[in-house]
Amino acid sequence: MECFSLLRSDVPALIDHLGDFGEVIAPHGKGDVSYSFEAVQDSCDVVLDYNRTLLPLKKMFLPPVEKLMGFSLKNESYEQVDVAITSRVFFGVHSYEMQSILRLDHSMLTGSAESNYFKRRQSSRFVGISFEPDEFHFSESVGIVIEEMEGFDLFLNEVDGDFQLYVLTENGQEMLNGFDKINITEPEIVEGRHFKKKIRYHYNRLPRVFQYAYHSEVWADVASRCVGCGACTLTCPTCFCFDVQDEVEVTAEDGIRQRSWDSCMLSTFAEVAGGENFREKTINRTRHRLYRKFKYITDEEGLPWCVGCGRCTAFCPAGISMPDIVNELIQEDEKAQYHRTVRV
Amino acid sequence: MKPQVAFFDFTSCEGCQLNKLNFENDLLDILKHVDIVEFREAMDDKADHYDIAFIEGSITSPSCVERIHDIRRRSDVLVALGSCAVNGGVNAMKNLHPIDEVRETVYGEDKYLFATLPAMAVSSVVKVDYEVRGCPMTQQDFLKLLIALVLGKQPPKYGSPVCVECKLKENECLYNRGMVCLGPITRGGCDAVCPSFGQFCTGCRGILDNPNIDGMLEVMTSHGISLDEAKKRMLLYNSNEVQL
Repeated sequence: MECFSLLRSDVPALIDHLGDFGEVIAPHGKGDVSYSFEAVQDSCDVVLDYNRTLLPLKKMFLPPVEKLMGFSLKNESYEQVDVAITSRVFFGVHSYEMQSILRLDHSMLTGSAESNYFKRRQSSRFVGISFEPDEFHFSESVGIVIEEMEGFDLFLNEVDGDFQLYVLTENGQEMLNGFDKINITEPEIVEGRHFKKKIRYHYNRLPRVFQYAYHSEVWADVASRCVGCGACTLTCPTCFCFDVQDEVEVTAEDGIRQRSWDSCMLSTFAEVAGGENFREKTINRTRHRLYRKFKYITDEEGLPWCVGCGRCTAFCPAGISMPDIVNELIQEDEKAQYHRTVRV
Repeated sequence: MKPQVAFFDFTSCEGCQLNKLNFENDLLDILKHVDIVEFREAMDDKADHYDIAFIEGSITSPSCVERIHDIRRRSDVLVALGSCAVNGGVNAMKNLHPIDEVRETVYGEDKYLFATLPAMAVSSVVKVDYEVRGCPMTQQDFLKLLIALVLGKQPPKYGSPVCVECKLKENECLYNRGMVCLGPITRGGCDAVCPSFGQFCTGCRGILDNPNIDGMLEVMTSHGISLDEAKKRMLLYNSNEVQL
């Protein structure tokens, strides 16, 4: 693994250079205090220090709203949308975001691959960047450190305001060909970047905690504060549920079939024919959300399906914190264990 | 034969009706599917029977009750248009005060000349088959319903909050801009048009089924407005739906 030094002032030049390998997509400022992944128009607009984007990078592979096909009622015909395979470079991606894409790959490509996702995911290159954790990040607690480089072709680690550029793959090597603003250097370990938010247990122990947490009182407390807006799941980088609907144009002749992100936190999500709803109450839905992150998939794959980006907490209007819920469950579990032991 | 369609207005600003005249590009397509037989805002024909009757406005007087029963008897399908018709809308704010006080404020000493009732949703008086929500109702929403009826399909139902459409558009949350928004508990389907243009949601499409009202009041007050103000905002369009 090679390591180069790169001045902060030379980063826009690097972004321009990466443009040779496809459309560059990077974090940009959005609104008053937010960020969003957008295609780069001017490399100077790219934000290098950001906490998290509003929507995860997932939106580039599984768009929030996507036309799947057009149909004609008149001719009784349909035409599927053909997703073009284009080369794209994703720049300035945090480690937890990359890990979320790898988990999403698993969800979308295992078994029968989801073809639109697969086409968009092909020919993607990733350039990572380190970040300063804020009060919501807790990715270390789910096994993802700031400098986790799996999945990246290049990685920029900030050292004293400038960067160390790690070359991780052959693609990464190729992307630096002809770029002369870098000098070979020794990798340095950066100290002093700490996660302020933590889950108290190692993530390996969480499935066991969840095994006994189904009837916990914590869920009722969370449900009393939750207003059911769905922000947590709609901004989650590993959630992948969607809904498919047909819409007919005003001519009543043509229409489109459309897919859009759905959320298990919405009361309509588990509604079925006949008006039955098998997760009717908020308490059922909040519990289900956390079980999807720490138990159901984790039991199968051995990894938490949460990457600790903190979006669900940061974007919750009611201020409900996922790591706090997990810590409360842990505390309750410890109490229960203590009582079990004492009784024996 | 094309379905015979009629529009009627009760207590309202007639904004929803005007909104339909703004269709412009789609108006000719609409007229391919239906015959408009009664529409005070645009024409003066009358008919005895309607395949689809669109009702705008809330029911607020004994004569309204009589008239809506008459329309219902002559209609196969009856659709409530806009928040006044769907749940009473802003008119229903009067229900928060004693009816005598309301009459006195509006008509002064002549109050006994004007009979009045609490502002009611059309569905409180007659059977309503479908509804198009919003203040005003959106053209897009109306067209979706009309096309569904013409095709004999079930019109779309909106059971998700405004926040969903806002998130899908990657809007910055208005709570992060220091505003207090009713998006989390308000029925969506509006494409989050207000928040997308920087205006907080006022709840014009009605409150979701089984809302967490206490949780929402907590969210609103924790973002800097008084409990009294929070309740007033929630009641603006939903006095008939929310018990505070």
